[in-house]
Amino acid sequence: MLASYNWLKELCPGLTLSPSEVADKLTGAGIEVEGQKPYGAPDECIVVKVLAMRPHPTKSGLRLVTVDTGAAQQEIVCGAPNVPEPGGLVVLAPLGTHLPAKNMTIGKRDIGGIPSEGMLCSDSELGLSEESDGIIILDQGTRGQRFTELVPNDVIFEIGLTPNRPDGLGHIGLARELAALVGIHWKPPFVVETEGRDTIELLSAKVTVEDGARCPVYAAAGAINVKVGPSPAWARYRLESLGVRAISNVVDVTNLVMLETGHPMHAFDYDHVQDAHIIVRRALETDAMKTLDGVTRELSEDDLLICDGRGPVALAGVMGGADSEIGNDTTRVLFECAYFDPRGVRRTARRHGLHTESSHRFERGVDWDDHAYVLARAVDLTSRLSPGTKALAGHIVVHGEPLSRKVIRLRHAKIRALLGIDVPMAEALATLTRLGCVVHSSSAGNDTEADVQAPSHRPDLLREVDLIEEVIRVRGIDTVPAELPAVRPTRDVGGREAAFSRVREAAVSLGLSEAVTFAFTTKESLAKLHAPTPSVTLKNPLSELQAVMRTSMLVGLIDALGNARRHGERSARLFTVGNTYEARGTASELRESADNLPVETARFAALLAGDSPAYLQKARPVDVWDALGIAEEMVFRVTGARADLRRDKTFAHLHPRGSAAIYVHDTLVGRVGPLHPDVLEAFDLGSDVVVVELDVMPLARAQPVRCAPLPRFPKNTRDIALVVSDDVPAGDVLRGVKKAAGELCEEVSLFDRFTGESIPKDHASLAFRVVYRSKDKTLTDAEVDAVHTRVIAEISAAFGTTLRA
Amino acid sequence: MFSAEVRWLSSMRDPPIRDGSCGKPQRMSEADDKKAEIDRALAALEAAFPARFVGAETEQALRDENAKILGKKGELSAILKELGRVAPEARKAIGEAANAVKAKVEAGFEARLREIAMRKRDAELNARPFDLTLPARIPAPRGHRHPISIVREELVEIFRSMGFAVFDGPDIDTEENNFGKLGYPPDHPATDMQDTFYTDKGHLLRSHTSNIQIRAMSTMKPPFAFIAPGTVFRRDDDMTHSPMFHQIEAFLVDEHVTLAHLRGVLSEFAARLFGDGTPVRLRPSYFPFVEPGAEVDLGCPFCKDEKTGKRLGCGVCKHTGFIEIMGCGMIHPTVFEACGIDPEKYSGFALGLGLERTAMVRYGIPNLRMMFENDPRFLSQF
Repeated sequence: MLASYNWLKELCPGLTLSPSEVADKLTGAGIEVEGQKPYGAPDECIVVKVLAMRPHPTKSGLRLVTVDTGAAQQEIVCGAPNVPEPGGLVVLAPLGTHLPAKNMTIGKRDIGGIPSEGMLCSDSELGLSEESDGIIILDQGTRGQRFTELVPNDVIFEIGLTPNRPDGLGHIGLARELAALVGIHWKPPFVVETEGRDTIELLSAKVTVEDGARCPVYAAAGAINVKVGPSPAWARYRLESLGVRAISNVVDVTNLVMLETGHPMHAFDYDHVQDAHIIVRRALETDAMKTLDGVTRELSEDDLLICDGRGPVALAGVMGGADSEIGNDTTRVLFECAYFDPRGVRRTARRHGLHTESSHRFERGVDWDDHAYVLARAVDLTSRLSPGTKALAGHIVVHGEPLSRKVIRLRHAKIRALLGIDVPMAEALATLTRLGCVVHSSSAGNDTEADVQAPSHRPDLLREVDLIEEVIRVRGIDTVPAELPAVRPTRDVGGREAAFSRVREAAVSLGLSEAVTFAFTTKESLAKLHAPTPSVTLKNPLSELQAVMRTSMLVGLIDALGNARRHGERSARLFTVGNTYEARGTASELRESADNLPVETARFAALLAGDSPAYLQKARPVDVWDALGIAEEMVFRVTGARADLRRDKTFAHLHPRGSAAIYVHDTLVGRVGPLHPDVLEAFDLGSDVVVVELDVMPLARAQPVRCAPLPRFPKNTRDIALVVSDDVPAGDVLRGVKKAAGELCEEVSLFDRFTGESIPKDHASLAFRVVYRSKDKTLTDAEVDAVHTRVIAEISAAFGTTLRA
Repeated sequence: MFSAEVRWLSSMRDPPIRDGSCGKPQRMSEADDKKAEIDRALAALEAAFPARFVGAETEQALRDENAKILGKKGELSAILKELGRVAPEARKAIGEAANAVKAKVEAGFEARLREIAMRKRDAELNARPFDLTLPARIPAPRGHRHPISIVREELVEIFRSMGFAVFDGPDIDTEENNFGKLGYPPDHPATDMQDTFYTDKGHLLRSHTSNIQIRAMSTMKPPFAFIAPGTVFRRDDDMTHSPMFHQIEAFLVDEHVTLAHLRGVLSEFAARLFGDGTPVRLRPSYFPFVEPGAEVDLGCPFCKDEKTGKRLGCGVCKHTGFIEIMGCGMIHPTVFEACGIDPEKYSGFALGLGLERTAMVRYGIPNLRMMFENDPRFLSQF
């Protein structure tokens, strides 16, 4: 909503605040002024009279115009097609005038050998409108008069209104608000009494409202002997300054009244209203209409129409029809001022993809009881914008379902209870009165409570809290002091946030960086990853790229890697946390959620790509053991438990040689491995990409550590190097060593793996360190040697190992 | 080994006492000669060992030299082998003399050992310094939390320390929880503020974290104080909007909760986020689920004059001295009623802020889109 400072001043004659102060006041009360900009022509511009005109001697299309500035006569070169005949009044920007709209300063110029000192200006050159067809031709003014005396400079506010304040969509509403905030009076514009003149009866128009729920009020007034033509300068510039194109005096009237009262109007050429009958009804299947924008509309039975004896003439509250438009030959005008059900208007506007000044206001709820004023003002303005017009007194009004002003009980105690401060009841009631409420004598006969009637222009005042908000809003919400509440201890519900936080901490400590990845993706991406087929699909996605909810966390990481590699960055160490989504399928799942909401599973995924970090040596591409390290450490750092990695070839997106399932306490919590070459190819990723996927919530169930006593006796360590066929998993040998070593064995670790040179082909040397320790005594070398010799024998029997020389 | 030798020496003193030959000296002069010989040998050893030790340049050479003198088969032992041939009454004196020499050698050895060690240390200390310009060896590669997460965890911590707990809720919820019970009338322009994604099953991607208010109030009895950080979705995708973003909601419901309490929590929040004394400014605004409702501006932390506390104005606050950061208000009685809570008995406040906006302000992130591109060059800055 654009609002004019000058207009607000006209409505609030006592206003002494500067535009910036007005902006601050309104913003502080919740009518947010988002910007303000000056409107008007440069001060130097003057009105001049055309005296003579001749073609440019050498340049075709240009003319030399002699003008009288009041002080002198001068010749100006002009290219405009519409220079008026001698006697006409135009606007001159003299030498030295700066025109901010065109970012130019008028200088001495030589055009085709003719010097020109000054410029005859158009609206757009002066910044008065976006575009213009030619230079300004004035219908009033005198030679030498400053143009700004005719079209005063103004400041235009850009106001961002919240949808609960439709009253702010007109200058009267803003003036009322401003007056209440500043503590001054405002007054509606003067309307010439039309009593004693011909009345609306003269037109013998008939109005029928068939759907009273959708049209609680329909009122109409008229004017005859109208001569359609351009509006006078003040009206045109007022509209232009507020971003509305001036069209013709009759249409301009409807727009001016809308900008003033916030109430959209419609003007019909009465002679085109078939049977002089306005019918407000829902659309029938047989109805069709073409709206003002030239589009033929398919109508729904839910659309409310304004019809005449022939058929639809307007989409009620949204847009007029092309057929009953005001034309140049219109002489009899019927103005409509109605109140349409906001929700219905909104449905129609949305259905037809229309958002108009009119629908915007009706959707939010216009004043439902201002038609008498609105129509009188429109008729009066018509007679001023089109001299000779005969304004008809009175109006027709038809009521549908009755609306009423809500009466709300306001309790003084509740003000304190809600705000925490004491506001005197007298102040509260005075504020509400200034905003248009009517205070009924309080029922208790004292100042502890009162009945307050909300005005018809404030559909948002419905309950006591709404009134209390008005009171504190006008007093200044910032006057409420700060007071800390006593907060009673509460426990977390769910635990997902804490779990995510721990997972993030562990991942960052492992040198991974967090990516924030979108929860939606494409079916194709998930298919490429062999992820579960998405079962939660968006009905209205912004694009096909975000059409389904993800069933794998890897998509976002793969996208991130793709981006990084496009930037020339081969390596990445990324993780992401978030949910995957799957529709509830099984009966037990259905029981868990009465709403049948999808199952959201909290997950973690990590992706390592390119090279592993190395210190002053050749980089090494990431491999499956890097991934295993992330998997084991994530599990350990989050839960304190050891991850159990089991080879598992069933994960189709992972490399079959290197994929494993991750178990914690025999619960499957994730999977790990290099991406399958098919997946790399499908995403065009290149090589060296390994991933880890974990379910977060099972990890969140960490058991606290049990502290073990420290060993009392020394350990006794033996190393063995075993040569074994390299298809024997080292882990199996390690477990075998541990089992064979029995209960004296505290720990077995593989500390070297070696192939080649002296090791036979297809064999590897595995070096284990076995730590022996007894809980009860210091082991002698002889005792340890005895066990260790048995271990070597058992292992060689079980795995065909030989001791490495 | 050395102490064992001393024991051996003292044991040498005893046999003559048990020996029946006491008082019957034989070949007196030969015994005297022997004693003199031993005394001379001891004196020679005592005189020679310092030079021998000094001649040992390394620890090993020193230890070898020491062993030559004091070892089992060393020179001292060799000298004392002759002890048996000395008159018994003179043996004690020789034993004492030998012990004295041994002690001197031992002390000389220790001193020289320390000297060699100190010389070695000096040489090491004065050798060419390490090249400290080589890159530091980082124990593990550096990982980075996403700025949204940093802010998220920081805000959660601030509210937790004020007594709020976290309430989890789903990203996909019912229209009823996201709009209906929050007081958004159907077909109302208020829902325009939040253009929403719907699923094929008729659910929606929550357009704000306020659905958690409904979930908490529908399932729990006040009093409670919760925060709800989470992912939210709106159908908007341009330079300043992402279809997925993050919010954190905080709400407190109890008897006698007032707007002054909301302000108190906001002031405390501002102080913890941006520093002590950060001013809080409220501007009335409209959210269907609160009344009164307001937008909250916090004093800009980036252009604060430390002396006066005044905000001088900067690019971050667009020269207003304030940063628009969140919305808040007193929970609307309609919301209480929809959740089965008596608005005459209970009241409460709610506030919510966008994590992206907070992160952008906090870290000077120039462009919202950067937060969703996951460019390593961006992520590694945090």
